[in-house]
Amino acid sequence: MKVLVAVKRVVDYNVKVRAKGDGTDVDLNNVKMAINPFCEIAVEEAVRLKEAGVATEVIAVSVGAKPCQEQIRTALALGADRGIHVEAEGRLEPLVIAKLLKGVVDKEEPQLVILGKQSIDGDNNQTGQMLGALANMPQGTFASEIKVEGDKLNVIREVDGGLQTLSLSLPAIVTTDLRLNEPRYASLPNIMKAKKKQLDVYTPEDLGVSVTSHVSQLKVEPPAERKAGIKVEDVAQLVDKLKNEAKVIS
Amino acid sequence: MAAISPDILSALQACVGTERVFTDAVSFEHYGRDWTRVHTPAPLAVVLPGSAGEVQALVRLALAHKLALVPSGGRTGLSAGAVAHNGEVVVALDRLDDITDFNPVDRTVRCGAGVITAQLQAFAADQGFFYPVDFASSGSSQIGGNISTNAGGIKVIRHGMTRDWVAGLKIVTGSGELLDLNRGLVKNNAGYDLRQLVIGAEGTLGIVVEATMRLDRPPKDLAVLVLGTPDMKAVMQVLETYQGAMDLQAFEFFSELALQKVVVHQGLQRPFATPAEFYALLEFEQHSDADMEQAMALFEHCVEQGWVVDGVVSQSVAQAQSLWRLREDISETISRWTPYKNDISTTIARVPEFLAEVEAVVSASYPEFEIVWFGHIGDGNVHLNVLKPDTLPMAEFQQRCGEVSRWVFEIVQRYEGSISAEHGVGLLKKDYLHYSRSELEIQMMRQIKKVFDPQGIMNPGKIFDL
Repeated sequence: MKVLVAVKRVVDYNVKVRAKGDGTDVDLNNVKMAINPFCEIAVEEAVRLKEAGVATEVIAVSVGAKPCQEQIRTALALGADRGIHVEAEGRLEPLVIAKLLKGVVDKEEPQLVILGKQSIDGDNNQTGQMLGALANMPQGTFASEIKVEGDKLNVIREVDGGLQTLSLSLPAIVTTDLRLNEPRYASLPNIMKAKKKQLDVYTPEDLGVSVTSHVSQLKVEPPAERKAGIKVEDVAQLVDKLKNEAKVIS
Repeated sequence: MAAISPDILSALQACVGTERVFTDAVSFEHYGRDWTRVHTPAPLAVVLPGSAGEVQALVRLALAHKLALVPSGGRTGLSAGAVAHNGEVVVALDRLDDITDFNPVDRTVRCGAGVITAQLQAFAADQGFFYPVDFASSGSSQIGGNISTNAGGIKVIRHGMTRDWVAGLKIVTGSGELLDLNRGLVKNNAGYDLRQLVIGAEGTLGIVVEATMRLDRPPKDLAVLVLGTPDMKAVMQVLETYQGAMDLQAFEFFSELALQKVVVHQGLQRPFATPAEFYALLEFEQHSDADMEQAMALFEHCVEQGWVVDGVVSQSVAQAQSLWRLREDISETISRWTPYKNDISTTIARVPEFLAEVEAVVSASYPEFEIVWFGHIGDGNVHLNVLKPDTLPMAEFQQRCGEVSRWVFEIVQRYEGSISAEHGVGLLKKDYLHYSRSELEIQMMRQIKKVFDPQGIMNPGKIFDL
């Protein structure tokens, strides 16, 4: 079974994100970038399927500018067999990414596509679902456990207040939730091996997709700063302030 | 425990305010001891002064009433330096917590003694700077305590100890005078540098009330490697290989048993499945891709030489933090076995031989005890922890460890090492001070103490007896 796994290059989630001075965008200058945490979980799951003898080949794909090849190399170091980079510049919307991934799906014909449920920068939670629609494949989103049984894929989903188990016919799409697995560290020997693995580069034209933008970003601003608190002298003053200033009690 | 006389109580209250003097058991337990659990805290009172002037007033009062004073910071010490077990007045500096006079040109900032290390680190980061002294207890430890113990920690190999970051300090001596030492100067060869005597004096010369701390530029894009090695000798060869080619920020090691304990008790992931006897954790800056390429090339070399069996590298800040936890969580993890801790050092090159000798003595003496090794090693400092078996009573455990300590310290002496690399001497190590210091040195220390503290009221009984 061939597995395609999508990885996105995002700002490292431990980095404090700052807006640019002119408010046009997030400041990405000299900021540490990393693989999107949900995509990392997707890679780990694909590699585990390979280690379990279920997957025969794991292909990591990323859409974006040239530097996202670093994240493809990370996926290769974690155990993916080869990489595909769809080179595209600018702010790419989920629909465009889904169309480009659909182009890769048509070329590679994987039995399973695993994506992160959302990226921590855009927070859109759209790409996997859009790809499902475009590729006409069943989808199991927010997966906390997956298991291939014959020509079916059982997906346990985290839904409000419980778990839901679905059975999907293959080929299918899965988007990962946090509890699906704990990704491994990239071992140094595997990082070195990853440098020699195949990485193909496509343009959107190669996949027959035109990159158009439907949304423009008007402004990016940091959250309002929290006002400093005050110390009250006694309970009476606290009650007074709650009543007359905060007006939360009467 | 003698109850406090009404005269002294009201005199203390007059110094710092009625609500800043505590004489209850809970406060004694809280303020009267550090992380050691050997002595029972039994102070006369706990006071929380709010200014250098109030500290001076307390010292004058102590002189008049022949009271001993014990300074108290974050109370995370490991040598019972901040333990009050003998009717002393505990002077807790928590309220001196102002961070002021940030100076980006001098790269300095003024801190009250009670500023918590993590607060200074966060302040520095907000200004685009970096305070590099860091250790597992930085969320509780205070600058005054760091200075008094010359705290080291995990970045010593690159940034040195607290001593290297103190540009100036103010201390209230045992005579109640306020000394303003060095005042932030970089160059100051006008006579003796008394500041350096105060750093690491464990409060025996006076109470540090304020310090001007230096800041550094922030490190750039840190990467963490964890490498598995077959033996201790290989750890040192890895250190030599990497240090010869790169500026390391940290070089730590820990044993397989330490890793097992941390993985089980903290729920962390092993770095890799390949078994190894010891692990080295390296941290370095990535100014460009060349740094990681260099690290990879060195890794290949170490594997070819048989010094390294496997290794991982952090791919994100989160992974770097998780890998650091494998080392930083050891102390907390093993604390449930109330370990007998030794914090010993020698010159870096002699560490493997030194360690082998200590290991031989320790495993022959405690065949049934679990020994956990970890440490900074890039600076010659190793932590030897003997875990108490659950069935053994504490007193018997302490006694048996105390016996073997002497043998360990004889080895330390032969290697011209230190019986306390970074934890200080306090009460716990003072009987062993002579293994690291000559009689003449200790005699001169006593004379220096007399100059600062003629009546002997400042943290008496710590480091040495008068």
